[in-house]
Amino acid sequence: MFEENSQPPAARDVSAERDEQKTAGAADSVTSSLEAVETADKSAETNGGEVSSAARAVAVALAGWLLPGLGHALLKMWGRALAIFLTIGFLVYLGAGMRGNVFEPGGEDAFARLGYIADAGAGSFYFVARAMEYEGPDVSHADGDYGTRFLATAGVLNLLAALHAYEAARGRKA
Amino acid sequence: MVPLHFSHFQSLLLFALVISLAFGTLGRRKPVERVKYAAWSFAMFVLVGIALGWLMYPFSK
Repeated sequence: MFEENSQPPAARDVSAERDEQKTAGAADSVTSSLEAVETADKSAETNGGEVSSAARAVAVALAGWLLPGLGHALLKMWGRALAIFLTIGFLVYLGAGMRGNVFEPGGEDAFARLGYIADAGAGSFYFVARAMEYEGPDVSHADGDYGTRFLATAGVLNLLAALHAYEAARGRKA
Repeated sequence: MVPLHFSHFQSLLLFALVISLAFGTLGRRKPVERVKYAAWSFAMFVLVGIALGWLMYPFSK
C-alpha cells in the first residue's frame, strides 16, 4: 500500500508543507531580488532624468539670455515669451534712443564693470543697442542718464526672465 | 536713429509702465491677477518715485 511512498499520509503532508515553504521562501527571495533590481533601475533612471532635466533647464536659460523670450518660447509659454521679447526690445530701443551709455567690457571702475554686466544681461540685444547708438552716448542731459538706466534695466530684467525660464524648466512653480 | 526726448516725469511713467507689465506677466499666471499686479506695481512705482522726488527736493537748493 505504501510502496510508492514509503511514508505514512501524515508524514507526507508534513513533507509537502516543508517543500511548499521552501518554494515560497525561494519565490519570496526572487521577488525581493527583482524588486531590488527594479528599484536600482528606477533610481538610475531618476538620476539620469534629473541630470537631463537640469541640463535642459540650463540650455533653456541660456537660450533665454541670448535672445530675450526664447527660453519661454522653448517651453511653449508663448504669452510670456512675447511679453519678455517686447519688453526688453522696447527698453533697449528707448535706452539707445535716449542715447544712454552702453558699457563696454574692461571698464575702468566698478560702476563701469557693473554697468557692463547689467547691459550684457540683455544678450544679443546688447549688440543691437550698440548698433543703434552709432552716435555714441550723451549723458550730458537727463535723457542720456535715463537711457543708461533703461539699458541696464533691460539687461537685469532679461536675466530675471532667464532665471524664471530655468525654474519653469525644472518644473518648479514659476 | 531719431533721438528720443522725454521729461523726467514721462521717463518715470514709461519706466513704470514697461517694468510693471513685465512683472505682471512674469509674476502671475492668471490674466486677472496679472492685470491687478501690474496695476499695483505701476501705482507703487509712480507714487514712490514722486514721494522720493519730494523728499529730495529740499536738498536740490
